[in-house]
Amino acid sequence: MFDTALSSSDLLFLAKGAGMTIIVTVISVTIGTVLGILFGVIRVQLGAVLSAPLTFFLDIFRSVPLLIQLVLANAFMGMVLRLQLSGFTVACMVLSLYTAAYCSEIVRGSIDAVPSTTRRAARSLGMSWAQDMRYIVMPLATRVALPSWIGLALGVMKDSALVYVVQVTELLKSTQILITRLQEPLFLLMICGAFYFLISFPLARFGGYLEKRWSND
Amino acid sequence: MKKTTTITALIAGIAMAGAAQADKLDDIISSGKLRCAVVLDFPPMGSRDADNEPVGFDVDYCNDLAAALGVEAEIVETPFPERIPALVSGRVDVGVASTSDTLERAKTVGFSIPYFAFEMAVTANDEAGISSYEDMKGHTVGAVAGTYEAIALEKQIEEWGDGTFRPYQTQADVFLALSQGQLDATVSTSTVAMANVKTGNFPGISVVGKAPFDTDYVALFTNRNEYGLLNYLNLFVNQQIRSGRYDELYEKWVGGDVPSLMVPNAYR
Amino acid sequence: MFEYTFQWNQALARLPKILEGAVVTMEVALLSMLLGIAFAILLTLLRLSGSRPLHAIATTWIEIARNTPALFQIYMAHFGIASFGIHLSPFASLLIGITFNNAGYLAENFRGALKAIPDTQTRAGRSLGMSQLQAFRYIIVPQMLRISFLPMTNQMVWAVLMTSLGVTVGMNSDLYGVTQDLNALTFRTFELFAIAGVIFYVITKAITLSARLVATRLFRY
Repeated sequence: MFDTALSSSDLLFLAKGAGMTIIVTVISVTIGTVLGILFGVIRVQLGAVLSAPLTFFLDIFRSVPLLIQLVLANAFMGMVLRLQLSGFTVACMVLSLYTAAYCSEIVRGSIDAVPSTTRRAARSLGMSWAQDMRYIVMPLATRVALPSWIGLALGVMKDSALVYVVQVTELLKSTQILITRLQEPLFLLMICGAFYFLISFPLARFGGYLEKRWSND
Repeated sequence: MKKTTTITALIAGIAMAGAAQADKLDDIISSGKLRCAVVLDFPPMGSRDADNEPVGFDVDYCNDLAAALGVEAEIVETPFPERIPALVSGRVDVGVASTSDTLERAKTVGFSIPYFAFEMAVTANDEAGISSYEDMKGHTVGAVAGTYEAIALEKQIEEWGDGTFRPYQTQADVFLALSQGQLDATVSTSTVAMANVKTGNFPGISVVGKAPFDTDYVALFTNRNEYGLLNYLNLFVNQQIRSGRYDELYEKWVGGDVPSLMVPNAYR
Repeated sequence: MFEYTFQWNQALARLPKILEGAVVTMEVALLSMLLGIAFAILLTLLRLSGSRPLHAIATTWIEIARNTPALFQIYMAHFGIASFGIHLSPFASLLIGITFNNAGYLAENFRGALKAIPDTQTRAGRSLGMSQLQAFRYIIVPQMLRISFLPMTNQMVWAVLMTSLGVTVGMNSDLYGVTQDLNALTFRTFELFAIAGVIFYVITKAITLSARLVATRLFRY
């Protein structure tokens, strides 16, 4: 099984795919997190009724398969709006909003987790809303949010395997291209799986560790 | 990057509203780049060499087209189901992707005159005991989702009322599944079948006969309303044959008798 | 401003076929969920068994399910397994892939839920004459399922969304597969996938809403 025709240039090709997976993930998670925090705070501030349109919009990204989101965004941007965007841009846009949708849920949940008495205490000490957010809510909510956020970021990395539909050659797609040429599906798939695992597993463990540590005190 | 694209789009929009409309042919020439959709797991039409660079009949054909236009060619790999989305979303300019020119599809995209013609062949797993097209009845068969042969084969299985049809996303997956014994047989273009069996990558499969489907004429395609470009493509295909380049490419990638691109007893 | 002409009636004419696909999608999701819960309970048992090899098997399953892409797992369930000479239909491959994923995530949820159930309850059960397994079956599992009800609902939604990955293993009877086939036939990409998207949305909303209704009855006490 380990008698393979895999050459060093093929490994380089795989590494390129892995690089693409990481780049797409980092960009999407960064933009998505900024948007997610913004949307999350807006939703908390406006309340359920006023923020209903925003909630509905974000909910779509959690209720429709990512594959369909990508195909539709791609078709819409190109066919309908006639924008000449690269597949990479479309992939990052969709994944960013996808991340933002989940992230706003995490942000909302963790802001709600800060006891309102604590916040009232802060305000009665003369803190402004901004000060309260900055010095009271942010540190407390971050503790609640960070473990879930790590889970989300890893989820986005795994889901980025689907951006092949908009012609972005990431890790899984590179693997499939090599399978086409070398016909060693099991071996190549195992390399690919190992890569995802080696990135995801330690980080997921770290998230679990943080969660345990922070929930005890 | 996103911002520049938006600004470019805006400027392009203003320019379009002002002067005479530039069509896609103009756009390609002025951008200096021709982006072709090519399927790269479809040897000998398109595949990758040992350095994972695109090669094949369709790749050469795209390069010729770019040379004729005096621009640089860019090969965009598109799996079969993604060919048309890639075009309509503006990711590619022209499809050189062994695409059958069906009437149903012509409602959405514009086809050139045929640039290649396929015969269909049955390839079977040696253990399935299939030696002809009819033998496939009652077996598990497959083809590449969205291709001419897949559509025809699925219809045939439905007609027989016996057997299972499975579409896979790529030609490689079909042959992989066939070689693994997940499929008993497949119908594919004979050139592709021969090329795949010859590679020796897939043990235990062989071409067992012809499939009685009509000749599958494949054409270049672009947006339906780009008449300027479509005219150019028609003339280009014609010139490829006139200049002997078609025969040359056929010899290089396929070999044997060059199929006629003329439809008997028809005007065009 | 739109240069594209929508042809909704062409896509809508195919609605019956698309809806048939939606039924298959729901079947796969539901089956994978039921099997996933069963396997997740089994994995939880293996983890509690105190046997090192059994614990290792359960942990490997759970960590692979949680740390690799679902698409990878499904692809593996078809082409990977076939390298050992085991041939599965696309339906079976997809079902196994999603079940594997579901079981991994659910087992992790169950572990969290177990922490909320005091150990004393098992001991109480034992002193009432129950065997270890009986105590697990009658005391722990019902509470575990109840506490994990919300994560289970989310996993069900995920299962529905994951069925769209079946196309990579030759599935064409599910909602995504049917849509893709029709797209190959007509090339009306935007219209067809928009319809499929709406149906997916309706299915997932129906799941969350009915889960909420069930929850109000389930958690009355």
